[in-house]
Amino acid sequence: MSVRKMHCLMGVFVAAVILAGLTANSSYAGSDEGKNIVNAKNCGTCHQLQGPATEKTFEEQLKKKGPELWYSGSKFKKEWLEGWLANPTNIRLLKYNSITEKNSEKHPVLSKKEADEVAEYLMTLTAKEVTASGITEAVTPQGKNLFIKRYGCVGCHSIKAGAKKVGGVSGPDLSEAGKRLKGDWVYAYLKEPKVFKPVKRMPVFVGIINDNEMKILAGFVAGQK
Amino acid sequence: MVMVKKILLIAAFLICISAFIGKGTAFAVSAEENYKFYCTQCHGMDGKGDGANSKPKSVGIDLPEMSVTPRNHTSPEDMNKLTDTDIENAISGGGGAVSKSTIMPAFGKTLTEAEIKDLLAHLRKLCKCKGK
Repeated sequence: MSVRKMHCLMGVFVAAVILAGLTANSSYAGSDEGKNIVNAKNCGTCHQLQGPATEKTFEEQLKKKGPELWYSGSKFKKEWLEGWLANPTNIRLLKYNSITEKNSEKHPVLSKKEADEVAEYLMTLTAKEVTASGITEAVTPQGKNLFIKRYGCVGCHSIKAGAKKVGGVSGPDLSEAGKRLKGDWVYAYLKEPKVFKPVKRMPVFVGIINDNEMKILAGFVAGQK
Repeated sequence: MVMVKKILLIAAFLICISAFIGKGTAFAVSAEENYKFYCTQCHGMDGKGDGANSKPKSVGIDLPEMSVTPRNHTSPEDMNKLTDTDIENAISGGGGAVSKSTIMPAFGKTLTEAEIKDLLAHLRKLCKCKGK
């Protein structure tokens, strides 16, 4: 091979490396802009954006105005975040932290561009406790049985029952949870609740629901679409 | 004498440790607070069995009523059917532990044994009854 050909090949290689680098960076494009929007709109006033969870009393939890977002990249599906931020709806049917008032809150609406950038940023906020755990996101008879009959989750969470919706209202509405939540996060939340929300109205099920059942339940919840 | 001191020290240490080890984690300072935070979701703010989960329409949400009516804690008639042990077991192990509906979840890993005993006393105050 001639020296010229060698130089040419090296040039192509360097260009490819640079291009690859640029492409890799572009997958995070919008993350910085998203962070700037989150700061400019003072989202941190209602949402905890940095972990870990530190609440130790009911009072500390009840002071909070909105859901924690410091692990949102591990919890939410990006496409759902993008859509929801531009067109927000209420997920918990009762007002945040309340068990007597209907949720009539109006979350700020972002433009499509802002929503995409904020979603990009929120997806960078992750918790190491959420890992790929082989959850099958599907509504299964076993999952339904555990959710409704064995552990009574339906007492606090609503789900779809054919064309209708049934269930309680003090927990988040799970009737379309699969569009929103990652099954791996649901499993991690059941398995290590104190990491994500140490003080909450939902009972601790560690030591009550076994690991395999937690996986089935997580799949059932993430299968609600 | 030295031996006695050692035993006393070990005993004191064990007592301290036991205060921190429980099945649950205490967040509340009173049974009333625990009741308000956990139980009222289904049993209602006044304990009459009419919480938001039980009757979503009562808080303006168009969903059907719960398939099972949560127990009215203010009814001596209903609460007298239960022994203290029944109540402790229902709180700790859920409705299924006392052959009742599993829609009542188990709080045995949420509340400490002492908190469950305090809740029992609170429930007996609400119903103004002693149980069978």
